Amino acid sequence: MNKALKILKDNFIYLAFIVVGLLPVFGLPNYQFYIVERGMQNALVVLSLVILLGFTGQLSLGHAGLVAVGAYFYAITVKNYGFSPWISLILAPVVTGLVGMLLAIPSFKLRGPFLVVNTIAFGEIVRILILNAVDFTGGPFGLKGIKPLFSGVYLYYFMLVVVLIFAIVTLRINKSHIGLAFKAIRDDEVAAEIIGVDVKKYKLLSFVISSIFAGVSGVFFANLTGYLNPDSFTFEISSTYLLMVVMGGMTSTTGGFLSALLVTALPEVLRFLADYRMVIYGLILLIYIRFYKVLDIKKIFSKLNFKKSSEVVE
Amino acid sequence: MSLGTFVQLIIQGINMGLIYALAALAVSLIWNASGLFNFSQGDLLTLGGYFMLTFTVVALKLPYWVGFALAIVVMGTMGFFLSRSYFYPMINQKLNPQLILIGTVALSVVIRNAILNIWGPSAQRFDNPFGSKPILIGDAIIMPYQIVNIVIVIILVVLLQLFLRKTVMGIAMRAVAQKPVVSSLMGIKVEQLVSYTFLLSTCLASIAGVLTGPILPLIPEMGSLLSIKAFAAVLIGGLGSFSGALVGGLIVGISEVLFSTFITSTYKDVFIFLMMMIILQIRPGGIFRIEISEKV
Repeated sequence: MNKALKILKDNFIYLAFIVVGLLPVFGLPNYQFYIVERGMQNALVVLSLVILLGFTGQLSLGHAGLVAVGAYFYAITVKNYGFSPWISLILAPVVTGLVGMLLAIPSFKLRGPFLVVNTIAFGEIVRILILNAVDFTGGPFGLKGIKPLFSGVYLYYFMLVVVLIFAIVTLRINKSHIGLAFKAIRDDEVAAEIIGVDVKKYKLLSFVISSIFAGVSGVFFANLTGYLNPDSFTFEISSTYLLMVVMGGMTSTTGGFLSALLVTALPEVLRFLADYRMVIYGLILLIYIRFYKVLDIKKIFSKLNFKKSSEVVE
Repeated sequence: MSLGTFVQLIIQGINMGLIYALAALAVSLIWNASGLFNFSQGDLLTLGGYFMLTFTVVALKLPYWVGFALAIVVMGTMGFFLSRSYFYPMINQKLNPQLILIGTVALSVVIRNAILNIWGPSAQRFDNPFGSKPILIGDAIIMPYQIVNIVIVIILVVLLQLFLRKTVMGIAMRAVAQKPVVSSLMGIKVEQLVSYTFLLSTCLASIAGVLTGPILPLIPEMGSLLSIKAFAAVLIGGLGSFSGALVGGLIVGISEVLFSTFITSTYKDVFIFLMMMIILQIRPGGIFRIEISEKV
């Protein structure tokens, strides 16, 4: 019995995916279904931040910019240049990865708030460029009628599979030597350098992997909404991503996936509060962070013996 | 372009720059006292502006200076209690600094949406008592409020310097900034000091918010753009340095105005951000680099 329970707990992430995968069977109303889809799209960004912030300890408040690069690349190539959506799906993360390299450069020299403000500036620059390159991006009017990869429920299952693959990749990175190098950098950069970790290389790698995740998420965003507008990629959105990661326990893949779904749904669940829902939503996050140590989500998680990524060495 | 127009532009830039400088100063003060980078500074500034709006226009219809003073008092009290109930406990728990930083981001979400709900999304203004009759110096057109703002900020900076150098609490604040552990051993009550620093910083935020009044109309999202530029200012100048915050603010304000006049106003923010990135690559600690122990 105990053994069965342990297997169940170790594979909690798969269970979570199966439950989410069964949602269409229960026949959710369209709008709720859309929220779940958005949650999955956000989960990709959260995984990307789990790698960057949770593993490597580099805080980014510019991830909305990366998502925007992926989304707009997909939309522009498919709509204006007639690329096949599949080719764009492959190319968009590559391009985002290259842009992510740019974002990584400041991290070589800067730390703490210096780096964070740099990432904010990056996100804002991307947004302003999109806003003003009206010929390509439609500027403030946005881009309409983007061809999706699939329609309806097939897109949902395709997303589910991709998110699952990326979640497994995150778990594998965590266990691999790359993950160990990331965590060495997070815990003490100088010490990591001394024991022979190439800090620059691994920071760059972390930013690139993270950007690729964000790029794929951007493609899904374009697929889900079919309409892109610079307002969807503001600084505020970046901070929401960050709050999702914190809610998920920062280093936990499963936690990140679940918190992305929950936090995306939270404003909708709080809809009965009408105009005040965003205030309450912010307050919940505020209180959560204030009592982070008291609640100690990590301890609770490890008590439940969930597969927690930062303690994989067993 | 005549000299007069140029002077006019510079004064306009200084005006904007002083707003950034005040916000930057507030960020720097808190950083020094507690090692916390306050991301909600811009929204606190906006909140200060809205309090002024309520006191002078919407509800109480107080005279300008009374409303100004009341806004400072209200914001200061708020800062004090925020620190007591929110920031200091987190610092005291030795919470991961990145988490505290994210906590300030959450605070900014709350403040912004609260403003949106209470005062509504449309742009609003409050009058200033200095009149709208421009002063002509040569062919430079200068608005009265621009001169008043500059004078107010100069007085404020002098007072702040006196406070930090001559009073016991100011000296204690500087001591905590340099050696937190040693100063607590010398009998400085760190918790109290952090709270008073927050009080000071929210006061600065409200002053900046009121001074922004004649320059920009009040909108709930104002904080986010202002704060990003204030952060650029504080990093360009050097985080934790008093003169750095002022110089950084002025650099950002003046170059913003000059860039948008001579080149293009569309990409003025991009220019500021790129300038910040380049300066930080050349001089990672900012212009007035001070020895900072790694806090985040």
